[in-house]
Amino acid sequence: MNNSNHSIAREAIWIIPGILIAAIIWLVFFRPTPVIPPELTQATLLPEGRAIQPFQLSTGSGEAFTLENLKGHWSFLFFGYTHCPDICPTTLQDLAASIKIMASTPSSTMIPQVVFISVDPERDNGQQLSDYVQYFNNDFIGVTGSENELLALSRQLGIIYARVEEKSSEDYLVDHSAALLLFDPEGHFRAVFGAPHKADNIAHDLPLIQAWYGLVND
Amino acid sequence: MIKYLLPLLALHLGFQSIVLADALPDTDNGLIISNVWVREAPPGAAMLAAYLTIENQSDKGRELEFVVSKYFSHVMMHKSEVIDGVAKMLHQDKLSIPAHGKLELKPGGFHLMMPAPEKALEAGDTVYFRLYFANGESLPVKAIVKRAGIP
Repeated sequence: MNNSNHSIAREAIWIIPGILIAAIIWLVFFRPTPVIPPELTQATLLPEGRAIQPFQLSTGSGEAFTLENLKGHWSFLFFGYTHCPDICPTTLQDLAASIKIMASTPSSTMIPQVVFISVDPERDNGQQLSDYVQYFNNDFIGVTGSENELLALSRQLGIIYARVEEKSSEDYLVDHSAALLLFDPEGHFRAVFGAPHKADNIAHDLPLIQAWYGLVND
Repeated sequence: MIKYLLPLLALHLGFQSIVLADALPDTDNGLIISNVWVREAPPGAAMLAAYLTIENQSDKGRELEFVVSKYFSHVMMHKSEVIDGVAKMLHQDKLSIPAHGKLELKPGGFHLMMPAPEKALEAGDTVYFRLYFANGESLPVKAIVKRAGIP
């Protein structure tokens, strides 16, 4: 009796150091590091992400483009129109340049799909829209839809656009939100890049957002 | 002797006139125009943008009132501006170049907008504009078509 009491006491001595060692091992190797959102140059992160309602648009080559097309990869959405000679080509040029930077930097950056959504379906459609976006990068996708189809997507993203009549009706301009919207591979709205855009800023922020997203969803 | 001198004289005069022709637009009115280019349009783009810098080294301010070019049916003066996140193109009735100041037309800001001509312009092509100022002056400028993002 005395003997076994003694041995229990001897074993008990190891309980506290054992817990301490286990705690240290856990602290060093297994503790989930608190995931702090990254410091970004241009983008504003939506830490919770935002699921969006299904939508239906179509590409220049006539294929359907829906919420499903935003899943499985990162995507940038940009709303504009091809009659816009300054801001739209500049933004698409910046996106193409940022992709070149990211592709040439050795890192695990996932190159995003770029989707140019024309809010001027009256003048932009079919092959012309595809040719326009592919001038900047062969992988860029041009999509559009009817007035209602466009609104179904733009409204839930806070994108606005409005036709501005000119002297001649053919020459109308379209005011449109200048932001780039980033979607994660779940198809959730994940960050906004406000204008003015810079290729360097995009190439800086996107890998940080992807790394952060990877940690959060581990 | 005269036989040898005449060609030299002709050569000398010839050079002089070339130098003068080059220097005239700059020294005469104090305006230096540089970096004139037209953005090569993606296929299917109906509108083009052109950019330039006007430096005014003189003591009198200028106002650019309008621009014409035989290459385009009309040339508009615009300013791209992002107001509360919305990109707009605003018509400019005139563009001011203050005395000893500078006016820059560049991507994302002031620019000229023209309908694309029927035959698409390609990088390397040359077009001409004439700038008309409020004081009655006008200046021809040569523009190179360039693909943006490639220096």
